[in-house]
Amino acid sequence: MTEATLFTITFVLYILSAFVYLASVFAKKEKWAGSGLVLAAAGLAGHTGALILRTVVSRHAPFTNMYESLSFLAWATVLALIVLDRKIRIPRVAPYMMLIAVGLVALASSPLMPKDVTPLVPALQSYWLWLHVSVTLLGEAFFAAAFIASLLYLGADTEEKKQKMDSVSYRAVAVGFPLFTLGGLVFGMVWAYKAWGTYWSWDPKEVWSLITWFVFALYLHTRIVMGWKGKRSALIAIIGFLAALFTYFGVNYLLSGLHSYA
Amino acid sequence: MKSIWKFFESVKLAIVLFIVLTLASVLGTLIPQGRSAAEYAARYGSLSGLFVKLQLTGLYHSAWYLALLFLFALNTIVCTLARLGPKWRRAFRPSPEVDDKSLQLMKIKGRVRIPGPFPAAVERVRKALASRHYRLRTAGAGTRIAVVAQKRRLGWFGSDTVHVGLLIILAGGVISGLTSRRADLELRVGQTADIPHAAFQVRLDRFETEYYPQGGVKAWKSTVTVVENGAPVLTQVVEVNRPLTYKRFSFYQTSYGWDWENSRLEIDIKKPADPAYLKTLSLKVGERLAVEDADFTHLAVREFVPDFVIGEGNEVQTRSMEPNNPAAQVEVWKGEERIYTGWSFAKFPDFGEGHKVGQASLTFILKNFEASQYSVLEAAKDPGATFIWLGCLFVTAGFFLAFYWPPREIRLVLEEVQGKTEAVLGGFAPKSREAFQTEFDILVESLRRTT
Repeated sequence: MTEATLFTITFVLYILSAFVYLASVFAKKEKWAGSGLVLAAAGLAGHTGALILRTVVSRHAPFTNMYESLSFLAWATVLALIVLDRKIRIPRVAPYMMLIAVGLVALASSPLMPKDVTPLVPALQSYWLWLHVSVTLLGEAFFAAAFIASLLYLGADTEEKKQKMDSVSYRAVAVGFPLFTLGGLVFGMVWAYKAWGTYWSWDPKEVWSLITWFVFALYLHTRIVMGWKGKRSALIAIIGFLAALFTYFGVNYLLSGLHSYA
Repeated sequence: MKSIWKFFESVKLAIVLFIVLTLASVLGTLIPQGRSAAEYAARYGSLSGLFVKLQLTGLYHSAWYLALLFLFALNTIVCTLARLGPKWRRAFRPSPEVDDKSLQLMKIKGRVRIPGPFPAAVERVRKALASRHYRLRTAGAGTRIAVVAQKRRLGWFGSDTVHVGLLIILAGGVISGLTSRRADLELRVGQTADIPHAAFQVRLDRFETEYYPQGGVKAWKSTVTVVENGAPVLTQVVEVNRPLTYKRFSFYQTSYGWDWENSRLEIDIKKPADPAYLKTLSLKVGERLAVEDADFTHLAVREFVPDFVIGEGNEVQTRSMEPNNPAAQVEVWKGEERIYTGWSFAKFPDFGEGHKVGQASLTFILKNFEASQYSVLEAAKDPGATFIWLGCLFVTAGFFLAFYWPPREIRLVLEEVQGKTEAVLGGFAPKSREAFQTEFDILVESLRRTT
């Protein structure tokens, strides 16, 4: 089986999963959420296969251009969903996470994204590529969960729903923030030091990951020390995710700097 | 003094600083940093002067941004210290004594009658808690014993560990800023360079650029030898991502260049009037070569550019250092008289055809050009980096403690009442209430059972 076939199967499974999850929420068939999770897991297995195949063919980590990195972010989003759903049950958040995954895969499949396997430029030839990118994107996937939970908090009509969404958002940040710090900032600094001889250059992508870090640090301090919960917390989590999104996506297209290759 | 302390102890200050630092950092990514005055003038017009005055063009190194970071550090220190004492006592020197009222106020609580005589009951409690990895402190004797049992006590210090890590990182940044040494070394093969602030030299033995079969650079490889007191001590291939480190200095492959000024060119001379005529000359830039010919006596190459372009002032420039459009300026002499000056292009040989040179018509073709590449290595010594890694270690460990090592505390009062043992329990675990509740319930249940 080729990478393209597996990728298509993955896409179909993700769409089915999103559909079943959405049906479980809007048709109030809570049992269907279980099927949504199974479909998501099956999709993730196919996706993992596609990523492995691509790694074998390209002989480098599967996140060195926009197509690869979007595909990997979709993978990380589904993984985050499965972890959170198994740990704390997130039937209301899951459908939208699947929609994000579907959107990312669709974006990756668009003709605008070159899918050719290209050899690595010297700067990217390092095992830190694996650690830096994968851990950062996994952290960002958990931020996506916090983002959705926060949006759902703002739209929730009952106190019970609000409490649940507030808690999901915090739990997702509690996983995402350490991962983002470790992968994005710590591993990023170590790699920069090895490749460029300096651990910090105030490159726009570096600054934006620091900005993202400040926003989530603000989230934790206002919440834990000042006792902010609910609406204000949700707004900060939303801003934090948007900052992470800009770090990942916007910096490449709108600002120039050292990270111009990825 | 006290009011200054109070000011820095406030979490509100931390929150204001987070917001201000965030906005300032965003601003620095919207205004390109460290460009020339002319570029700012062209981009922002009359505003550019204001930007420079407010240090927005070198924002992250500006006095005010550094001052913000300094306030942030002070705030972190004071906040951490202010909370550390009580936390430390709570974690490591808790008093087992507790009154019934505060036990009643705890969110997780229970009451149980333990079967068996009092000393045996106390022993059972002790064992039940120890088997769940709790550390115990007890107080009281006779018919009333108070117990405090704790586990994962380090979990109280997660945020403090992160804060200490951040302070070490900031200190590392200051040390880097004050003591790091950097120098770019442009090395041609065989050349030895002194390293500023170091007692040794490095020599470039070999430099090559490897390409992928489908094009694109695969690697730049500099074979570098460290020379100390005139003797070689270490030879290593330096590549991007694979620096050489010797005596606190690291050498990074940062760039490369072409030694165009010393390129060797091959130029074909033809005469449209005489198809059999062909002369191939090999000469260096700046060299003047004698040629036996009826029409001229000498040929020289005055200039060579790798990427020919005509500038705004009609002057010849090179767009880049890559050989994208190599061109040579050829001069032809007859005795002491220069009879021709013109450009020949490697990629556009037609331009060199049929030039009027004196009485004759000649064609000059830039057939070949060769230049050696030189390697650019960065020599860097950064004593601050060690602190950065230490700080990162603290931050990572702190996150683990803060999020995945939730501390738990159980308080008990055991009392002998009419030959029976009454136990009142209260639990405290703010970060893992649900999991703790389960553990607590199982514990209470196990104490209630008769063995």
